[in-house]
Amino acid sequence: MSAPLLEVEDLHVGFRGADGIVEAVRGVDFSVAPGEIVGVVGESGSGKSLSMLAVMRLLGTTARITGGRVRFAGEDLLAAGEARMRDIRGRDIAMVFQDPQSALNPALTIGRQMTDVVRAHRRVSAGGARRIAAEALERVGISDAARRLDAYPHQFSGGMRQRALIAMAIACRPRLLIADEPTTALDVTVQAQIVNLIAELRRDLDLAVVFISHNLQLVAEIVDRVMVMYGGRVVEDGPVADIETAARHPYTRLLKACVPSLQGPLGPLTTIEGAPPRLGRMPAGCPFAPRCPQAVDRCEREMPALVADAGRRVACWRPQ
Amino acid sequence: MNGPILALRGVTKSYPQGGFLDRLVGAASRFVALDDVTLEVARGDVVGIVGESGSGKSTLASLAVGLTRPTAGEVLLDGEPLAALMRDHAAPWRRRIQMVFQDSSSALNPRKTIARCLAETLALRGVPHQAWEAETVALLGLVGLGAETAPRLPHELSGGQRQRVGLARALAMKPDILIADEPVSSLDVSLQAQVINLLSRLAVDLGLTLLFISHDLAVVRTLCSRIIVMRQGRIVEDGPCRDVLERPTHPYTQLLISSVPRGIAGRRTAVAAAATGAAG
Repeated sequence: MSAPLLEVEDLHVGFRGADGIVEAVRGVDFSVAPGEIVGVVGESGSGKSLSMLAVMRLLGTTARITGGRVRFAGEDLLAAGEARMRDIRGRDIAMVFQDPQSALNPALTIGRQMTDVVRAHRRVSAGGARRIAAEALERVGISDAARRLDAYPHQFSGGMRQRALIAMAIACRPRLLIADEPTTALDVTVQAQIVNLIAELRRDLDLAVVFISHNLQLVAEIVDRVMVMYGGRVVEDGPVADIETAARHPYTRLLKACVPSLQGPLGPLTTIEGAPPRLGRMPAGCPFAPRCPQAVDRCEREMPALVADAGRRVACWRPQ
Repeated sequence: MNGPILALRGVTKSYPQGGFLDRLVGAASRFVALDDVTLEVARGDVVGIVGESGSGKSTLASLAVGLTRPTAGEVLLDGEPLAALMRDHAAPWRRRIQMVFQDSSSALNPRKTIARCLAETLALRGVPHQAWEAETVALLGLVGLGAETAPRLPHELSGGQRQRVGLARALAMKPDILIADEPVSSLDVSLQAQVINLLSRLAVDLGLTLLFISHDLAVVRTLCSRIIVMRQGRIVEDGPCRDVLERPTHPYTQLLISSVPRGIAGRRTAVAAAATGAAG
């Protein structure tokens, strides 16, 4: 295995509240190898997006990193200055968000927005930037790219807007793409196309990808590894085939079981009783203990550590 | 009554398209949201209406509830034209057909407690105020919420709980037909399963006719006995759930089915699907 591209250790992110800091990401460890595609799966509030925003140092003013280390290609990102981070964002690490509508400026053409990004990171002429932008658009499957550069976002469909944003993200040849629910706002047929596009780009450009989603079935179609988060912690992590066929954490198992499928028996769906823990009211022990059918006293009291074993990791007192 | 509880006869809904100048010179075209749709729904049926954005599925729902009027054709409730019912008996018609929306946070008034919200609905049905409290507790129980939910405000509840309140409010009218427009698509998967099971149980227990609008075929398969597939304002396929999913005849239905994520089982077909899907 080669040296990891991204290494995150014991990351903590908190929000300032009335009673001090409320932690939403509570000691997250993971790494991404060059060219690897990792699916990060969890429900709202699990800390999956927040962890990735912390990696990009894009937390804004309300949340802050309260502990941990983030290294990208050996460089300590938490020690990097803001100017250095601006260099890294877009050039080395790019990000694609859920809602392609709000990620684009409606008043500027697609071409203008793409060339702005290119020229911020590469010393090229206006014509050169336009060529790079057109190539990127072509690469994500938008035909007649040179002409489409002059279109405004509203002239694109939702799927085309997301393709344009992915084109913008890859235009500077980043080594890591963080895609935060990139298909959630799209129709199912378009969703399938975008997921396949990301798989293709990874293969052709040797891009590492972190694919954040709440849909385990969706990420399992393209990722190498799945990391499951719950209550601000990583609860399980392993090769996709292992997670799909032999998940060890009860939450992962239930998460798979409660999603309806086109195959399998009919009848009532498996449910996870209760609701995910709310910020500031995290259980003392395992965050999933209050909803876990297998929980014992110890689960309520003590937080299980994420234990590595044969390429997999699981944080559970009673793994299966 | 043995006839269909709800019927659409050649219903078309179109909107003017284009700017003011286009209209001035008479160049404005019309956008057809629903195109000559004929459809019958039997009492007690649980029907899934599937399609992507722009397919007309939500337009169909708002026509059935009487929120918009058709440009052509007619909507019938128990064989009676909706237009006449709206004129002469608007209140009873509206009671009989209720709707649950996708976004539970914008469907509830943020300043009113759950008890108040349900009481207003009960008042509309003519329930005397002495009975409100008991009815509220019963309604909350029906959707799996405790009485402690009643004094809360919407923001104090989770998305799944709010969606249940929306459902309780619709049920407070004792409707015959419930139209649910993407009621679970904004919920986390663990909560989605809870709400689907609840809808399934309520449809049986209360004998509801349920129109379930969704883009998720797997959810529809779990809940519905019949599927209507819509595309660009038209019904392209309609039949028993099992037949449609196992032997889809329309290419669009086939595309929808092949787009449902299948986990690692879907890995081999992933690239092939990309090649067949059109850009955008």
